[in-house]
Amino acid sequence: MNRLYPEIAVAQISKAGEELCGDKVEVARTEAATTVVISDGLGSGVKANILATLTTKIASSLLKRNVPITEVVPTITETLPVCRERKIAYSTLQIIKLLPDCMATVVEFDSPTTFLFRGGQVVPFPTEARNIGGKAIREGRLLLGEGDIIVAVSDGVIHAGIGGLLKLGWDWPGISAELAAHCSPSDDAEQIAEHILGCCNGYYLGQPGDDSTVVVIKLRRPRNLTLFTGPPANRDMDEQVVKRLMGGEGKKVIAGGTTANIVSRVLGLPVTVDLDYQDPEIPPIAKIGNLDLVTEGVLTLTAAIGRLHDIRKLRASTRRDGATLLARLLYEADRIDILAGTAVNPAHQNPNFPAQINIKAQVLANLRNALEDLGKRVTVEWV
Amino acid sequence: MSTLRIEVCLGTSCHLMGAQDIIDAIENLPPDKRSKIDLRGVTCLKTCRKGPNARVNGIILSEITPERILTVIEDNLA
Repeated sequence: MNRLYPEIAVAQISKAGEELCGDKVEVARTEAATTVVISDGLGSGVKANILATLTTKIASSLLKRNVPITEVVPTITETLPVCRERKIAYSTLQIIKLLPDCMATVVEFDSPTTFLFRGGQVVPFPTEARNIGGKAIREGRLLLGEGDIIVAVSDGVIHAGIGGLLKLGWDWPGISAELAAHCSPSDDAEQIAEHILGCCNGYYLGQPGDDSTVVVIKLRRPRNLTLFTGPPANRDMDEQVVKRLMGGEGKKVIAGGTTANIVSRVLGLPVTVDLDYQDPEIPPIAKIGNLDLVTEGVLTLTAAIGRLHDIRKLRASTRRDGATLLARLLYEADRIDILAGTAVNPAHQNPNFPAQINIKAQVLANLRNALEDLGKRVTVEWV
Repeated sequence: MSTLRIEVCLGTSCHLMGAQDIIDAIENLPPDKRSKIDLRGVTCLKTCRKGPNARVNGIILSEITPERILTVIEDNLA
């Protein structure tokens, strides 16, 4: 059975006039759990950012080492200082932990109530008051299912518009109603996060009175992609590698002309190059049967890495060149298995060609880094 | 009407050596000539060192230039 995948999106704006956001979000994905830690530092700007960063880093590091939440909260509340002037907590803390079996634990310490968006209805994530180390927290556990969405916000979102457009601010019921009316369980996490943050900014009339953060976690079926690039070292392995590609779950992509020819030969299907869309920088894409994408190799991969470094631009791009299409498919996947051929292409050993063409391993290492920075799980198998 | 099939290699080497210029030269032919050419792209003609390469009616031509491909077209359509 496919385990469900937690798709996570974070959207933030800083208080007007501040460069740094005083809210911090730390996402940690391990085999054992996915943990999201959110902290809202006292005040705004640098001070708040430092406090929130300390809080999330400490909490995240402890949780990654399987320290129980009951120990994480007092460790943080006892370690970091209390504001001398206001005598209140240095920062809020909210932890959302998801186990592979979809059991979710939510811990709230001075943070707004977490939203549970299920089947079009929005309700508070069920929690109970607890006392941990003398601190009043709320904690709850719930088994989630496919399509369930958890939304966490900082109080900047709750208070949006206060004293201005909205006398008492947007508040929890207002956000809840917005989620139910204008967000759909079929939306991706980023769409929902951007929508709520956009409304929040609107209520502030573009001049946020506080740092505002929206975190959306959506549980859905995982999206896998297998990328085959470069001919195997030994020609006898061609058939076996193509079988691996075709047997893989999810989308199938080929990057490389010779690689495309190998797949074409093994499958007995022609390669058709698409000359309808021309791009001076990126060689054209091709088509083989119902494979999801066939591109040129190293130039396209290098350009795709560049596009993955600016996701906002990638999402807005209307270009249909191989690198943009490849970057988009990779961005949409959660797990990417790369089958990398080790055959050396003597034609690529030309000193006049760009440096990256001769260092395919480096290109794939860069691709892996770019994807892992986006929270993807990547495997590279040299064949 | 008989057509002239031209397959231009669009592999990495040929792309870097100017395969796109060959495509552009063919695409920019006057309509009466362009309509007589069956232009296709191929992923590799396995003559990477001598790119850009094109296959004209089954014969591989290497180190081609836009001028040369236009001459070949003239010769074959004549």
